[in-house]
Amino acid sequence: MRLSVGEKVGQTVIVILLSLLCLSVIYPFLYMLAISFNEGADAAKGGVYLWPRSFTLINYEIVLGNEVIRSAYLITIARTVLGTIVGMLVTLIAAYGLSYRGLPFRKGILAYVLITMLFSGGLVPFYIQLFNLGLTNTFLVYIIPTAFSAWNMFVMLKFLQGIPEALIESAELDGAGPVRILFQIIIPLSKPMLAALGLFTAVGHWNDWFAGAFYVTDQSLIPVQTFLQQLLNASDLSAVMGSNNNQEALARGSQQNITLMSIKMAVVMVSAIPILCVYPFLQKYFVKGVLIGSVKG
Amino acid sequence: MGRFYKYRWQYAMILPAVALLFLFNYVPMAGIQIAFRDFQIGSSIWNSAWVGFDNFAFFKEPQFWVVVTNTMYISVLKFIFGFPAPILLALMINEVLHSGFKRFVQSVSYLPHFFSWIVVAYILQSFLTLDGGLVNDVIQKTGNESIFFLGSTEWFRPMIVGSGLWKEVGWNTILYLAAITAIDPQLYEAAKVEGAGKMAQIRNITLPGIMPTITIVLILSIPSLITVGMDQIYPMMNSANMSVSDVLDTYVLRSGLQQGYFGMATAVGLISSVLALVLVLLTNAISRKINGEGLW
Repeated sequence: MRLSVGEKVGQTVIVILLSLLCLSVIYPFLYMLAISFNEGADAAKGGVYLWPRSFTLINYEIVLGNEVIRSAYLITIARTVLGTIVGMLVTLIAAYGLSYRGLPFRKGILAYVLITMLFSGGLVPFYIQLFNLGLTNTFLVYIIPTAFSAWNMFVMLKFLQGIPEALIESAELDGAGPVRILFQIIIPLSKPMLAALGLFTAVGHWNDWFAGAFYVTDQSLIPVQTFLQQLLNASDLSAVMGSNNNQEALARGSQQNITLMSIKMAVVMVSAIPILCVYPFLQKYFVKGVLIGSVKG
Repeated sequence: MGRFYKYRWQYAMILPAVALLFLFNYVPMAGIQIAFRDFQIGSSIWNSAWVGFDNFAFFKEPQFWVVVTNTMYISVLKFIFGFPAPILLALMINEVLHSGFKRFVQSVSYLPHFFSWIVVAYILQSFLTLDGGLVNDVIQKTGNESIFFLGSTEWFRPMIVGSGLWKEVGWNTILYLAAITAIDPQLYEAAKVEGAGKMAQIRNITLPGIMPTITIVLILSIPSLITVGMDQIYPMMNSANMSVSDVLDTYVLRSGLQQGYFGMATAVGLISSVLALVLVLLTNAISRKINGEGLW
């Protein structure tokens, strides 16, 4: 295809603008990575833009030797895995039950779900309810209150209603009950949709700092994101210095002038790297997920 | 009864969801009465004394109106920049001829959506800090005074709007790009035969083609006008920028969970819940009028 001069100019301008956009996304991570591998006091003088000037692993040794960070990491992994499985299961079986059009009171139950999407009691009554149920300051506060997602249920319901009823009827004729139909027909057919919604749910759990910051006071129960949130506005290093296993690294660290900023960059990279690693493999699912969700439920 | 028995398995599967909604949505809704009672944590909501509208005294406090103004200011700014940006970006991505580069741009621009606002706050801090941050480093090297962005009242809103754009603009193109793909290619062929240039094609084919999507996204963004994501604001908030950064959600959070004024915080929360409901119902009515069908 031959391009006119105008089109060539247009292409060039677009490619330059889009390249700048991509750079604005990628560069911050390279920048933070460089600082996290640089000696703190040296980085504070400025000028470390792309490559560590005074290379060191001390920031990572201190961060990875910290008990609070290690336990926070375990909490994040546990809540992400458990929260996603429980959440998807509870929401899927509800959507499946409600996909039977002959179900008595179906409309009423759907309205009962819809109302919760339109109106809420607000933060304080919700918190008081968590307190009254004894969920505050427990691990379960990450899993149970958010297990059912009304939004996801409506997306699933829409999807399930697209499955040909003949499939289900023939299974029923063969004597399969609703539970067997769920596991042998519905779940295998819904895999792309479940993968997409599961991915969003998992990212939501991985990134949530709020529950850990306000519903939990026990430091051994906070997830990585809440640790990051606490460290963000910390004025000194006591948060990471207090409970460190690697005393020898700490001693070397103070000689090499670690700073709050260099430690922060190492912590944030440690929290971001898993997402950066799995991201390329998950792309095909999430675009599909957005498009399924955009269809009116 | 037989009708119910026939569906016993279905009811059993719906039961956990119904129970969870009851515990974590409907009981808190009943808890709104705290707004009209003198409640202390640990005591029973139902036994606390009624105090009428005493908890609504915040209406007379100037601080409350500052918070309302801040909320409106930020949400309107975010809308003005956040609404057209993905449309422009989608149009640009669509014009890219090299399909490999196109896919690369899409992949990269979706990425920030997957990071938390906390990570975004770290990125801002690392670039804007006075101690060797890139931005102030460059400002100093060009012979100017360093700027304390993170504690500045003038820079708070640009930081919030800018970082919000950075995080979500790519992600928000997905719907538009899908809508563009659905446009009949023959329309473009016909336009080329008629001698229409790229700009004319965008104006006369692409934009009208994605107009339904633009309308839906516009309608759906109305309710977000009164909720400024606390997720984004709270990490960037500090005592220095409080006069512009305090919004309704953070106000509720601070007065309720941190200072223990449960009645007052519930009352503020109630006001914003009611406003949100009104906006959603309004949105639904508009949608019904424009698209011929409601949102649900």
